[in-house]
Amino acid sequence: MPVIYTADWYSAVVEAINTHVAGLRGVPEGAWTCRIEIAGDGVSPYVAAGEERHFLVRIDGGRCIWYREVLGEEEEGTVLDYRFRGPAAVFDEIAAGAIDPVVAALHGTVKVRGDMRFLMRQAELVKTLLEAYATGVVETTWPLGAPPYAVTGGSSDATTAGAPTTAAAATRGPADA
Amino acid sequence: MRDTYDVVIIGAGHNGLTLGAYLARSGLEVLVCERRHEEGGGLCTEELTLPGFLHNVHANYHTFVDLAPPVTDLELREHGVEYVRPEVQMASVFTDGTALVIHSDIDKTCASIARFSEDDAETFRRLHAEAHGYIDLLLGTLMYQPPMSVKELTKALSVFGVEEGSEFLSVKLRVETINQFLDQHFTHPKVKAHLAFHGAVCGYTNDVKGLAIGFPLLAGKIDNWNLCVGGSHRLAHALWRDLAQHGGVMIADADVEHIVVQDGRAVGVRLTDGTEITARQAVASTVSVEQTFLEFLDPASVGEELAHKVKTKVRHKDWTLFSVHLAMDRLPEYTAAEFDPDVNRAWVVNLGYGSPEELNADWATIRAGGLPDPHPNAAVNSLYDPTDAPAGCATGLLRQFAPFALSDGGEGAWDEIGPYYGRKCIEEWRRFAPNLTDDAFLASAVFTPHDIVRKLPNMIRGDWMMGEISLDNMLDQRPLPELGQYRTPIERLYMAGSTQHPHGFITFGPAYNALAIMAEDLGIEPWWRKV
Amino acid sequence: MTRTTYDAIVIGAGHNGLCLAAYLQRAGLSTLVVERRHEEGGGANTEEPVMAGFRHNLHAQYMEFFDVMPMIQDFGLEDLGLRTVMPEAQAGIAFADARPPIVIHRPDQPEATHASIARYSSADADLFAELKHRAGALEGLVAGSLYNIPSAATGGPDLQAEMLDAVFGDLDIGHHYIQKSPKQVIDELFDTPELRALLYRVTVEWGFPVDQTGTGVAFLSFIMWTVGNWKLALGGTHSLAKAMTQACYREGVDLLESCSVEKILVEDGRAVGVRDRRGVEYRASKVVASNADLRQTLLDMVGEDHLSTLWVKRARAYRYGPSHVLGTPMFCLYEPPAYASARWDPDIDRCFYTMVGFDGPEDTIRYIRDAYGGTVPKPAAGTWVNSLWDRSQAPTGRHAATGWYFMPPASALSPADWAEVRATYNERFLEVWRQHAPNMTSENVLAHKLYTPDQMERKNLMREGDFSNGEFSPDQMDANRPFPEASNYRTEVDGLYLCGPSAHPGGGMHAACGYNAYKAIAEDLGLPSPAVATRGY
Repeated sequence: MPVIYTADWYSAVVEAINTHVAGLRGVPEGAWTCRIEIAGDGVSPYVAAGEERHFLVRIDGGRCIWYREVLGEEEEGTVLDYRFRGPAAVFDEIAAGAIDPVVAALHGTVKVRGDMRFLMRQAELVKTLLEAYATGVVETTWPLGAPPYAVTGGSSDATTAGAPTTAAAATRGPADA
Repeated sequence: MRDTYDVVIIGAGHNGLTLGAYLARSGLEVLVCERRHEEGGGLCTEELTLPGFLHNVHANYHTFVDLAPPVTDLELREHGVEYVRPEVQMASVFTDGTALVIHSDIDKTCASIARFSEDDAETFRRLHAEAHGYIDLLLGTLMYQPPMSVKELTKALSVFGVEEGSEFLSVKLRVETINQFLDQHFTHPKVKAHLAFHGAVCGYTNDVKGLAIGFPLLAGKIDNWNLCVGGSHRLAHALWRDLAQHGGVMIADADVEHIVVQDGRAVGVRLTDGTEITARQAVASTVSVEQTFLEFLDPASVGEELAHKVKTKVRHKDWTLFSVHLAMDRLPEYTAAEFDPDVNRAWVVNLGYGSPEELNADWATIRAGGLPDPHPNAAVNSLYDPTDAPAGCATGLLRQFAPFALSDGGEGAWDEIGPYYGRKCIEEWRRFAPNLTDDAFLASAVFTPHDIVRKLPNMIRGDWMMGEISLDNMLDQRPLPELGQYRTPIERLYMAGSTQHPHGFITFGPAYNALAIMAEDLGIEPWWRKV
Repeated sequence: MTRTTYDAIVIGAGHNGLCLAAYLQRAGLSTLVVERRHEEGGGANTEEPVMAGFRHNLHAQYMEFFDVMPMIQDFGLEDLGLRTVMPEAQAGIAFADARPPIVIHRPDQPEATHASIARYSSADADLFAELKHRAGALEGLVAGSLYNIPSAATGGPDLQAEMLDAVFGDLDIGHHYIQKSPKQVIDELFDTPELRALLYRVTVEWGFPVDQTGTGVAFLSFIMWTVGNWKLALGGTHSLAKAMTQACYREGVDLLESCSVEKILVEDGRAVGVRDRRGVEYRASKVVASNADLRQTLLDMVGEDHLSTLWVKRARAYRYGPSHVLGTPMFCLYEPPAYASARWDPDIDRCFYTMVGFDGPEDTIRYIRDAYGGTVPKPAAGTWVNSLWDRSQAPTGRHAATGWYFMPPASALSPADWAEVRATYNERFLEVWRQHAPNMTSENVLAHKLYTPDQMERKNLMREGDFSNGEFSPDQMDANRPFPEASNYRTEVDGLYLCGPSAHPGGGMHAACGYNAYKAIAEDLGLPSPAVATRGY
């Protein structure tokens, strides 16, 4: 089982997404760049409080064709179609399948910016993409505990080595597709 | 003025000026033509009573100024507009001396509601919190985007399972009235009365089927009303300044009488004094559908079918407003202040509606063309903006829901009955605030529904939302399916005012959304779209 | 705005303040204009105070300086909303006994003017035409005298004598005309009583007290230049203010309304900013300029503590009124007035400015002297029906008429008396109007209202209702205005300038006070001069 937030884990998520999407009909043509901003909130142990992890994800024809972590100030000039931003603990909960990402957006905990009309019109696709990420489709190891992060007695506890790397960029590009 | 511009905009209300400012910032040569002698449209502020007393003739409430993209994109605060968010937003005072008070602080609001019903207070807290959660989402999805259809919207909500994730949102809202929504979630008639009243002040009549769909948003913003310091017209000045600073021009006393069409394309306008102005790229109208298609355009350009639709299918609000503007030498002191002293600091006060049924009864009277017994609401801007009246004095505004045409005499009857009805409204205020004896009022000026159309002929039949607020007249259907996406059947002619989605009120939405469409057609890079 | 520090702050968004602000901003100074009222314009004010849809100019009516006003050219105001119309028939006088009117036409229609005067006297018609023609050629001189900082040299008797000789010598106009009053000059030049009556009224309209000796040259140059040279601003006078505001915005000027300045902040003898009624301070690093009247500026805003005893004395001695004090009646009509005199000359029914109620020169003189003397005169007026040329000023099928009464200064009557005047004077004038134009019955008048000097004082801070914010007499004119030590727009407080009509050349829609104030500031700060060689100022 890949460890949460490692390159292996991201690869697994992308595969899951693309498998789910493969089954969809009426997927729109076109490509979109999304920026995902995960803000350390002092609750999630996976992102230090005050720090942030940002990812760029490229969706093309419904499939995720690449993603990469944004380091430092680079990529500020990238033209974005969507931006999703929220506290790290919420992203953890989404990944663990503990909360519905749509509900997180509704509650305003995850902020969404971009062409909302398109997002609504492509509700099926968006739902599918989210399901792959959010419903625990990818079996995951949580070295620092899955939310609510109880280390003893938790179900997906750390078994194998090491916390996920933080600074080293997790990247998967077209060459790896 | 010169005789050629890139874009000519008809109407310098907040939508016309906003659209103009964006286009000017995009490098186009823009002319905004205003029929009146000053810019602003519904933002006009005048000394209607005595020198030094500033009265907002129409728009008094600026609710979206912290959310609307144009406020930041056009740097309006740098252009001199200043807002105050009153701590005591609105109140209802009831005939039994009690009062319900909405504060900018949700805890205080809930404490006030709890005095009538603790359950209702908790429900309201949840409704407010839930609505707050999705306000950004809703505004981004609904308000500041060209519209999708109700069907698409409800389908998306269904796919996303929004109903499961929310207590108050449901597809049923589409067929419910605000009354029904309130009955389902709240218990106390006075709580419901205030909420229904609040919706009405926003233009959402509580007994109209389907308007429940808008209620959660209204509830979420119930405590976020802002007052424009120095009068609403300051917003118009700020918008004008941005337009002018970026090379655009607003010309007042420029009364458009004709939109020139060649080979099916809008190429300019002609003013009533004969001046002809060429628009190289586009013409945008922010006035009414009727004016645009039945007065400004040749019938041949419009076609019989569209003309017929404009005449028969464009729908307007079935009630309007009667106002009394007052120069006062004191602030109101409510009897209900004994129950809750905060009432005396409430910006806007519902005088006496104690249940939704009372509102319903008044709608029935109004729709039949009758004059309801006065139940005005009272706004005293001076409480939060001392610059709007001389020292020690106050500017008061009484607003009464009213029919446009009285069954007895039509709209012309207002000229006769206005002063009398104004006195009745003042008397009603006095019932709740007995310190407002006759000498409290240094001068008064009524502003009847007939005055509304005289001043702003684009507000057909006194329709201050520039189009009926109902589910059928919303989103991509507003004001007609052919016009719902800001384009018109005439190439390069756009509708960009409050006739369009979202609707009237100071939202900047119609202009911002029309801008998106025009940018597509004119090849303008949307530099303002920040993700 | 969030900003509170600027290079320059201009107090008052009257047209002079707006003019100054535009030039300052263009010269690179960040400029804030603060305006006490909720809208800009000051005396350039058009409203609908009587009935919705009927526009009335509450103060300025004539737009006579538009051909020479620098700001119009320098900032392209005609592209920014300033549009004008020049009626052919300009000034006229009608009579109750239906005798022929006298109608003065635009300068490009001298034959029409001649024919009109000639009905009474060919000699007067010839002379008038000649003087008008020569005064026209003096436009440069007139403009130069407006748009330059006055010096003791420019207005001096020697120069005036030279000019008289050069321009009018062959008409037997001698040096002694310099010392005459306008009335004396008019009486000496023209025989026709009707023409005299018209010219007396025109003279006082342009602010030259008709009995004021020592202003004879002004009649020949300024008055004769201006008569018949008037334009109507489409939409009303306020269009000038709107276009100026737009020009200011284009340049980047900040304009803050509903901001009432209480104090000009003075530190170490230097003006450093202003404080408003709310206690908010705005700082100016280089310039504070005041469009407000002299006493308010110096005694209230600056305060005696920061002034020398001389300046306090001068400020206290400065006089307001009586010669520029008017009342503005406003009428909403079905039909425009149809004069009995029109049977001789229909032009009187379509004349920009028509005098009603002055049967002869004695009437006019008595009228003026009564007003100057503090008595409400027998009703008579100069009238305009702008809707004849500008349909935007009245609803279809109706007309808006405005007038000017000469009135005593505000303090000459009690508030109760002024209320009485407002309640009764228009009706009394309407009776007179009806005698001259029989269709001016009560059926023809939908409504009317009167705006009186006491109201002007409150609304626009025109002391005593004096639209020049300071009496127009030789001791307070030109290089003496407002007083000799202050006549070049500078004050004894460093960085504080005067830019309103308390300075030269007084009231009127010329924007010269603002323009000249800019010149003074430009000299002091090394900014570009606005002068353009081809126009001479």
